[in-house]
Amino acid sequence: MKKFRRQQWLILAGFLLIVGFTSFKAVHLARAVTFWKAHRDEPIRGWMSIGYVAHSYHVPPHVLYSALGLPLTPPDKRPLRAIAKGQHRSMGEIQAILQNAIIHARPPYPPPPDPSPDREGPP
Amino acid sequence: MSFTDQLLAALLLYGLPLLFGVIMIASVGVPLPINLILIVSGSFVRQGESKLWPVIIVASAAAVLGDQIGYGLARWGGRRLVARISRKTGFKAQFRKAEALAKRWGGPGIFFSRWLVTALGPWLNVTSGIAEYPWRRFIFWDVLGQVLCAVLYVMVGYVFSDRVQAIEGILGNLAWVILGFIVAVILGWKIVKSLRS
Repeated sequence: MKKFRRQQWLILAGFLLIVGFTSFKAVHLARAVTFWKAHRDEPIRGWMSIGYVAHSYHVPPHVLYSALGLPLTPPDKRPLRAIAKGQHRSMGEIQAILQNAIIHARPPYPPPPDPSPDREGPP
Repeated sequence: MSFTDQLLAALLLYGLPLLFGVIMIASVGVPLPINLILIVSGSFVRQGESKLWPVIIVASAAAVLGDQIGYGLARWGGRRLVARISRKTGFKAQFRKAEALAKRWGGPGIFFSRWLVTALGPWLNVTSGIAEYPWRRFIFWDVLGQVLCAVLYVMVGYVFSDRVQAIEGILGNLAWVILGFIVAVILGWKIVKSLRS
């Protein structure tokens, strides 16, 4: 076998580094895909709005508004962190309230009816 | 609240002006999570919080402007600096070689770093500027790549609007795996070629 020159050693080192880095990222990718498959729900974070949480968890927004004691209209676009601050609550408390409301709005529990007047049927 | 969460909360409150500012600063070279921001913007579009075309236009324009700043700074400031360093350190020949390589492969490099491996984008702006990659060709590949980037990530956010954090994790890793695989194949081919010759 011929002796490697300096440049060839450098290419080989680069190759091994890239293979290592790509394998590392591939493991992370596999983990992210596994997480995707196993968890349908995103963790509730401080940047999310009530509308986003309702959209993400597929529950009617009014369920979450009433759980936090907020009026349905006009829609509150504040992030949850700002709502927590406004209500003198911790982010953990807000998460627990929302999780509880979400559980009770999903099957087997029927979601409570929408209290907004424009969504009510004719008398 | 983490810095990323603070940025996303600000995006919720301030919308397009914040999107423009963050993407422009990130394109100059400040490491900010712009892929996640674009995906979340797509989710907001799906929820009716913002409109699709203004988001794509603002994101593309901000990214192109930031890239132009990075390219301009490198071309009119960085080139002189690198030339001085290469003269003093005796790496003048290597500098010329790198410059020729950047000119030869600049176009595809600029294009793919705009949307596939966005973390490399600001570096490619700097190397293109230092190598005096022709500005017209730079802006052509830049606009093409950045519009594709904005459309791609905003639409991913629109389609997977209820799971933005999970999809961003998958896309971020996937891009590096694809790039790593391509580079590994090129280097492996070079090793095989040099062993045969």
